[in-house]
Amino acid sequence: MNNAQIEIQLIASLVAVACAIPGTFLVLRKMAMISDAISHSILPGLVIGFFITQDLNSPFLILLAALTGVITVVLVERIQKTGLVKEDTAIGLVFPALFSIGVILIAKNANDVHLDVDAVLLGELAFAPFDRLMIAGADVGPKSLWIIGTILSMTIGLLIAFFKELKISTFDAGLAASLGFSPALIHYGLMTVASVTTVGAFDAVGAILVVALMIAPAASAYLLTTNLKKMLGLAISFGVFSAISGYWLAHWLDASIAGSITTMLGLLFLIIYLFAPSKGLIAVMYREKQQRTEVSLLTFLLHLKNHSETRERHVNHLQEHINWQKVRAKTVLDLALKNNMIIIDNNIVSLTQKGDEFTSKAINYIITNEDAQIEDMKDDFFLFRG
Amino acid sequence: MDKKIAVQVDDLTVAYNYKPVLWDIDLEIPEGVLMAIVGPNGAGKSTLIKAILGILKPIAGSVSIYGKPYDQQRKLVAYVPQKGSVDWDFPTTALDVVMMGTYGSLGWIKRPGQKEKKAALEALEKVGMLPFKGRQISQLSGGQQQRIFLARALVQDASIYFMDEPFQGVDATTEIAIINILKELRKAGKTVIVVHHDLQTVPEYFDWVTFLNVKKIATGPVKDIFNDDNLTKTYGINYKVSIQE
Repeated sequence: MNNAQIEIQLIASLVAVACAIPGTFLVLRKMAMISDAISHSILPGLVIGFFITQDLNSPFLILLAALTGVITVVLVERIQKTGLVKEDTAIGLVFPALFSIGVILIAKNANDVHLDVDAVLLGELAFAPFDRLMIAGADVGPKSLWIIGTILSMTIGLLIAFFKELKISTFDAGLAASLGFSPALIHYGLMTVASVTTVGAFDAVGAILVVALMIAPAASAYLLTTNLKKMLGLAISFGVFSAISGYWLAHWLDASIAGSITTMLGLLFLIIYLFAPSKGLIAVMYREKQQRTEVSLLTFLLHLKNHSETRERHVNHLQEHINWQKVRAKTVLDLALKNNMIIIDNNIVSLTQKGDEFTSKAINYIITNEDAQIEDMKDDFFLFRG
Repeated sequence: MDKKIAVQVDDLTVAYNYKPVLWDIDLEIPEGVLMAIVGPNGAGKSTLIKAILGILKPIAGSVSIYGKPYDQQRKLVAYVPQKGSVDWDFPTTALDVVMMGTYGSLGWIKRPGQKEKKAALEALEKVGMLPFKGRQISQLSGGQQQRIFLARALVQDASIYFMDEPFQGVDATTEIAIINILKELRKAGKTVIVVHHDLQTVPEYFDWVTFLNVKKIATGPVKDIFNDDNLTKTYGINYKVSIQE
């Protein structure tokens, strides 16, 4: 690896971390689309900032563009508050309007402005190492690295300082307000961080990848954990993994780095979506299948409990009486036997004491919805896990 | 009665989009009562609580808690929102939710430590949820979730408790457990204010009641004012409850 390659991967990784942190809270607040709006509507801020500063890396330009991001959020909320349209519609109205102003400004001044729409959408990560930061004549590294590094340090500082406030206002805004943690202040704080991060990352990776880096790692992490700190940690790891593997995918395919990183993010999410242990598609399908079997088991046990006459309890009669296919009847019988809930004597099925108690408890739970009695049953049966 | 006034509401009006949902409410809640707020859907019961707690901005009127504005008295007040107002899929545990009750006394930036954890565990114990402290909150039943919310309020060790429909969607055992804890709070001299739906249980559970339907209809001791007349005024139809004496 040469220096430029290392620098590109470093920039991509820092961008990924800086995006994953606000992204986690956006996902939990069901505000993923806001990041899309911000990433597009900062364009006019960037262009105007560029007219004024003539420097794409000026902190003033970054702040001005970030301000456009926050204005977007305010506009969306204003439109939504009228009650005339829903939030998604408001988002769809605001950001194309602002983005198009940016596009027109670029087109009108194409000759003067060192900006084009392609670069805005897809970024120019490959060129990032060429734009060096010189301090007192010495080369201290690519400008993008310093910009995103600074933004990331601030984000981490804010996250550590206000983790508790972010958590409570995200989970329960009403409680946060009653305790004196202004949810509005925290909301706009988060929106500001998201906007500044978007602007800082934008030059390197473009408007589309910024959204992917904010949302996909957090959404993947959400499927894997039930702990907010772990979710942040996982989102950060997924972001960095996609950044580095995406870079090498691009290298191998000789394709866009931004596009390859996004592809890796998509693949990662797909794999987790399918295979996540409890929330994944396969786990959910398995659980549903087990629940169906367990309902059948309960039906069967209840039938046994209600009928003492032997002809109702003959193995072969079960198929006819409860109207089950052979396979299903066998699955249910096996499950009951495995759990020592029935005994089969001479092809006559009877409940064991355990089976009898299990049935009573289960029925009681279903009628009263009181789950104090069934805690021990949750481990063995999906049906009782709320 | 010569009791201190815990909560005083003067001329409170709250509007959503210029449509008043609470109109000129005057209310005095004496210290140490267990009070139900009753009224039909859309009567502004939750809104009243939220306006008292500063979650909603009133367009007119004022609120005081023991004679001072709410902002200065936050630490005296605990709030249990409606269970449905939060996302129970949020990645956190029962213990962690209860710990949130301690955030108010911590203030900004400071983090909860061992002392807060101990208080949260004690509150969990009180509501019978200690065995579930590590469980993810979506894995709890509706009744258990409500107990967690109650524990979170208990951990605040407040003087006044506001609860928005704590009995909604809970099983009978939990309902009894919750009301017993509320009665204990009253015994300890606390003031408890509950948005309540089930009129049948008002005389059994509460000693004070406020009838609300956009305007305040009546407020006072249950034995004096919980009658068909006030119920009819509040619910608009000829309302009869059979009160078992």
